[in-house]
Amino acid sequence: MASAPTSKYNSHSLENESIKRGTFFILIDKEVIYICPFNGPIKGRVYITNYRLYLRSLETDSALILDVPLGVISRIEKMGGATSRGENSYGLDITCKVRDSVLSYEGHSRRDMFEILTRYAFPLAHSLPIFAFLNEEKFNVDGWMVYNPVEEYRRQGLPNHHWRITFINKCYELCDTYPALLVVPYRASDDDLRRVATFRSRNRIPVLSWIHPENKTVIVRCSQPLVGMSGKRNKDDEKYLDVIRETNRQISKLTIYDARPNVNAVANKATGGGYESDDAYHNAELFFLDIHNIHVMRESLKKVKDIVYPNVEESHWLSSLESTHWLEHIKLVLTGAIQVADKVSSGKSSVLVHCSDGWDRTAQLTSLAMLMLDSYYRSIEGFEILVQKEWISFGHKFASFPTAFEFNERFLITILDHLYSCRFGTFLYNCESVREKQKVTERTVSLWSLINSNKDKFKNPFYTKEINRVLYPVASMRHLELWVNYYIRWNPRIKQQQPNPVEQRYVELLALRDEYIQRLEELQLASSAKLSDPSPSPSSPSQMMPHVHTHF
Amino acid sequence: MDEIEVSLTGSGRGPRSEVLAVGGGNSCETVRSLLPRGLLNSCPAGVASCPASSCPFRSPRWPRLTLQESVLLLGPRPTPSAMEFSELIRTGRAQAKLLRGPEVPPLHGTLCVTGHHLLLLPGPQATSDLWLLLLRSVDSIEKRVSGDSGTITLRCKDLRVLQLDIEGVEATRDIARSIEALSSLESVITSFPFFYRPKGLRLGDAWHFHPPERYYKRVARETNAWRLSEVNEDFSLCPSYPRAVIVPRAVDDDALARCARFRQGGRFPVLSYHHAPSGTVLLRSSQPLTGPQKRHCAEDEELLWAVLAGARPGARGFILDTRSAQAAKQARVTGGGTEARAAYPGWKRLHRPLERGRPLQESFVRLVEACGYLEQSTDCWRSRLEACHWLGHVKEALSTACLAAQAMEREGACVLVHGAEGTDSTLLVTSLAQLILDPSSRTVAGFQELVEREWIQAGHPFQLRCAHSAFSHARPKHEAPTFLLFLDCVWQLGRQFPLSLEFGEGLLLALFEHAYASPFGTFLCSSEKERCLCEVRTRTHSLWSGLNQPKEQRKLRNPLYVPSPLAIWPSVEPQSLRLWQGLFLRWTRPNLQR
Repeated sequence: MASAPTSKYNSHSLENESIKRGTFFILIDKEVIYICPFNGPIKGRVYITNYRLYLRSLETDSALILDVPLGVISRIEKMGGATSRGENSYGLDITCKVRDSVLSYEGHSRRDMFEILTRYAFPLAHSLPIFAFLNEEKFNVDGWMVYNPVEEYRRQGLPNHHWRITFINKCYELCDTYPALLVVPYRASDDDLRRVATFRSRNRIPVLSWIHPENKTVIVRCSQPLVGMSGKRNKDDEKYLDVIRETNRQISKLTIYDARPNVNAVANKATGGGYESDDAYHNAELFFLDIHNIHVMRESLKKVKDIVYPNVEESHWLSSLESTHWLEHIKLVLTGAIQVADKVSSGKSSVLVHCSDGWDRTAQLTSLAMLMLDSYYRSIEGFEILVQKEWISFGHKFASFPTAFEFNERFLITILDHLYSCRFGTFLYNCESVREKQKVTERTVSLWSLINSNKDKFKNPFYTKEINRVLYPVASMRHLELWVNYYIRWNPRIKQQQPNPVEQRYVELLALRDEYIQRLEELQLASSAKLSDPSPSPSSPSQMMPHVHTHF
Repeated sequence: MDEIEVSLTGSGRGPRSEVLAVGGGNSCETVRSLLPRGLLNSCPAGVASCPASSCPFRSPRWPRLTLQESVLLLGPRPTPSAMEFSELIRTGRAQAKLLRGPEVPPLHGTLCVTGHHLLLLPGPQATSDLWLLLLRSVDSIEKRVSGDSGTITLRCKDLRVLQLDIEGVEATRDIARSIEALSSLESVITSFPFFYRPKGLRLGDAWHFHPPERYYKRVARETNAWRLSEVNEDFSLCPSYPRAVIVPRAVDDDALARCARFRQGGRFPVLSYHHAPSGTVLLRSSQPLTGPQKRHCAEDEELLWAVLAGARPGARGFILDTRSAQAAKQARVTGGGTEARAAYPGWKRLHRPLERGRPLQESFVRLVEACGYLEQSTDCWRSRLEACHWLGHVKEALSTACLAAQAMEREGACVLVHGAEGTDSTLLVTSLAQLILDPSSRTVAGFQELVEREWIQAGHPFQLRCAHSAFSHARPKHEAPTFLLFLDCVWQLGRQFPLSLEFGEGLLLALFEHAYASPFGTFLCSSEKERCLCEVRTRTHSLWSGLNQPKEQRKLRNPLYVPSPLAIWPSVEPQSLRLWQGLFLRWTRPNLQR
């Protein structure tokens, strides 16, 4: 994802000093014409390093106008031929995963640039290493140490009487897309797990994601059961779900949330999948959450891109936005997550969540529900752990809880920016087993190193720590808004005051408060020193101190 | 209205614009007898036509009444019996249950209707206090009866919807009829502000009044080119202007009188704001009465010329017409029109059509309707929001104000704003332009002063525009949410510049509520003349006194405010404008802090 100077949060600007430390080197440095979608052709100087492409304008006070990590480039094409007539018709057309850019030339050869860009933007196709493996940036915090599954489960109070930690997947033999360490019911043996695995798509058996600290209900995630057209049953799977239900004795039913629309779940039977039927699972209640699959979501997101870039649809903004259905998808995911959280917290029932493979929609639901239920995940570190643990697709929908999150918008945008940037190893590959094989933690830098060594930049000054507060966001179209600061940040006409003036003001006010509290203490000390000499005063500092606590 | 007998006392063309008296030989004594006892201290008939030689209010200062003004004082049907509130109250009390929204627990108790209020006295075991609703704030009422009980749904002007479940069919009918009759009383001087006497406030607190003299003092500190004219002292030149207005020093009162005859409703160009950094001014007026004969008025031309001469040398001017060029041209047929280019050298005309009147009211009604629908999965919220076009009006208002502000600040030009009457979209543009340019108007006190000067004293007809809100079934006559549109635009400014306004959303919500129904007198009547007739300033409390009490102030302030001398230029892209949820979804928004 590229950044432009208009972007509010530019997490990897040219001025970033670490660029000059040898990790990054410049491959190309030449003058070009950049066809800016907002301002038309701009004469500029392009620099291409092994990490990114950036462009400085030669016309307007050397302002940076383009800054794109090569990882976000999705296509490079030659535009026009040597015989092309007309202005700016000869050059390169570069398409990014989020926006398009066109570079145009006048009188220069474009071949070397095309070749270098193609090689470095698509390294694997040219037998080159991904940039993250070359990156030698040093941070004073090692982000790879952030997530330690044993630690995280211990924080949740696991193992306990009902749940145990198993290393059955140590060599990724039970399920190659699951992590090595899993939490499963105490009463289920490793053999039981193996038998259940045969009945779940890609062997993704139900495992614990989160346990409620008080009522001990759990959120369990998995993939769909392999029911198929013939309506197959599996006694072990049925028994296993019942064992999960029995870990919590407050309610006689286990609640199963199938993230998919009902019809899709039925259609999946044709390819061997399906859902838990009432006949087979007497003690379970099944609900469909109507969330569409990633293909539908991707199409929808593409439509959002089309109406915001390069030109924002003006005359029918609201109905165009509606026709993308993007906010509708967000609403459904959010509604589903609220149901999961509410079932666990108020309904006191354990919950099992799956979709088809259990790695997209399921992860969305479990991670959002955990964010609502557990304030720990709303801290910077907790969120990193949640991302690392459950996978991420998260936006700004929690804006209605300004004090509940330790991190700010910049934190979320930075994470999204580095999803494709290839600067860090955090989002490389699809599962733990491959990451282990590629020794990602040894050979690359973690995104959390960048963030945790500079935490202040990502902190929400309004954050107030609350331990057991459950968040219930409003999943209503009336109250959902497009994340303008993320999706429309390239457009210079949608001006954002930067940095966020409210946050900055709040930081100032907090500093002022601390200063006053300190002054008050000093004055109290001084006056008590004065007073303690002749006679003790009724307003001694120890009595006055409680007034110092100001509520922010 | 035909129940009032009227007799012409003046001479002229149309009866509506002429001086009338309450007829049938009514002296002020008889008029007085029509009104509730002890209400009237001054002569409502107007001295000039009062046959009673003993009238204690005979004084040349008193303006005479128009028909409209008589109605204002007396209501349309001032039959003696109907004027007694007690006659309108058909039943004393009934047992009822009040539902105030999805997340508020219902309230049980005894329901009472009084002259101005609906009261619910909770039962003895209840913990809550007395619940009180100003009847004036009821916009529409709907009753249903089934079995031996009934339900009354009250839709309020502040967009709240209340439901009353009442025991007894007769009681339900009577209460509904009483509320209907009392909430639609049109008489000003029998309205609640004339009875409201809160503790801790003194009547006639001059401190909260912002007389034109005070603003003139500020202008006079900055420039010597303007003077305060009292040519309108008896409101005879322009009934919708205050007693004193700020005009170019070079133009005398006689010339002003002739200008007034050339402008609709007598609204000749007056100063609205002086932008000291650029030495330019913002003026407002109504349309010139050029008519089909393309009349000219030398004094009017001289006035605008004097404006440019008084500004910095070589200054240009823009006339910002809030109608389309087409509409401005068409207005000539009915006697109006627009400034001919040749007659006003140095001035350039721009047309920026802004919606007003009925279409604006309909947009508001549709928006409130859309907000009230229960959300379903198939509900096309955004298309519906777009179809209301409310945010489109917000965008147009803000961008026109930006244009005016830009002309002054960036181009050093003077700007005259007018549409037709000059009492609606004109004020919207001039007041928003000041918020953009003038840091002092962004403080709590400055904003109150702005509302007072640019809306109340400038003659925005609040009594007509805010007679009904979005729920009324009555056919809209003069209703239009122009002032609400202004408040929405201010809210958008506050959202885009979270540190720049000293006040928060609370003040804007309060102004919206009080403009439509209020215990205070600030938004009563449609002009200073009417307020003077009804003695609003001395016999009712000012909203500003109410709001400026320390405990209220705290709720209205923006804690993040940082004064800044800079202009605030809003973004008017559709992505930058949001629905004002705090107002339009205020009563339907689920409680987040469960």
